[in-house]
Amino acid sequence: MNTIWFIMIVGSICFLLWSDPSLVLSSMIDAAGEAFTLCIELCAVYAVWLGILEIVEVSGLGQKLAKALHPLIKKLFKIDDPETEKMIALNMSANMLGLGNAATPMGIKAMKRLDDGSGVATPAMIMLIVLNATSIQLLPSTVIGLRASAGSTSPSDIIFPTIIATFCTCALGISLVKLCQKLFKKRGAKK
Amino acid sequence: MSAYIIPILFIALFCYAKHKKVNTYDTFVKGAKKAVPLVIDIFPYIATIMVAVALLRVSGITTLLANTLSPVFNLLGIPTELVELVLLRPFTGSGSYALLNDVLLEYGADSYISRCACVILGCSETIFYVTTVYISQTKVKKLLYAIPVALICAVFGSCIACLLCKIM
Repeated sequence: MNTIWFIMIVGSICFLLWSDPSLVLSSMIDAAGEAFTLCIELCAVYAVWLGILEIVEVSGLGQKLAKALHPLIKKLFKIDDPETEKMIALNMSANMLGLGNAATPMGIKAMKRLDDGSGVATPAMIMLIVLNATSIQLLPSTVIGLRASAGSTSPSDIIFPTIIATFCTCALGISLVKLCQKLFKKRGAKK
Repeated sequence: MSAYIIPILFIALFCYAKHKKVNTYDTFVKGAKKAVPLVIDIFPYIATIMVAVALLRVSGITTLLANTLSPVFNLLGIPTELVELVLLRPFTGSGSYALLNDVLLEYGADSYISRCACVILGCSETIFYVTTVYISQTKVKKLLYAIPVALICAVFGSCIACLLCKIM
């Protein structure tokens, strides 16, 4: 992340030195302001979803969901911690409903629990990141909304191709992570 | 139809909680309380990534990259008009939705280009944003293969999207 960020910032600023140096600071501050507005929106979203989540947990539904998804999670993550499993189960369910922002707090909690403090991402953490980055989305509601307002005759006809595409990327993501895990294990064994 | 899913789930959840004798009000408050510290924790990470993305866009690097890379993407079946969208998607959610809106208005909502753009956005995520926020509360510095894998999936998803829109 450090390298990517460094390249992005230094590259862009060098470019702007050529075209319009006065834009550098103003666009950076604008972006931070945008981030702040986004965070206020997120705060509202999280407040609602963390409230709901607490009810899900206290009522025992969280454990039930985790149990239902247990075989799948066990296979994908190879972990043995009921609390983490519960968080991952909730994260995956929220993602499937197309509630990416609601999935985030659960994902963060799960990541915290998966962290072994070594500074290197564990296979389970990578799996969770990739699953969230390729998230299966069954209802692309924002896209449908934009299509409708742009005057489409059938705004929802993209649902089916989206579902197929999203399943394909997710399947590819899982298999690539599994493949890389094996490759890295081999390299580790050689060392 | 889809508008009913969330309300029905909520009713089911609240009734179930009542049945389990959970104090829904107290519990909701307890959960909602965690929202503010969480947002304060992740704000610096969101700001940092958004600053970098803003610079990239303002400097015109994204457009330049889109132009240079479009032959490669064309080979994969992704039309030139959508290259910038595919490139920007991993970095910014709001930015790529703004771009999608431009595409919809320029090419017409039911055109092939627009439908591709919609499916591309629907099947992908803001990879860098998700990654930064997710690891923000851990000690992880080395992500190994996480980002390359996610990016490959995103490009693959875009190819599939363009292909599907052609045949469907």
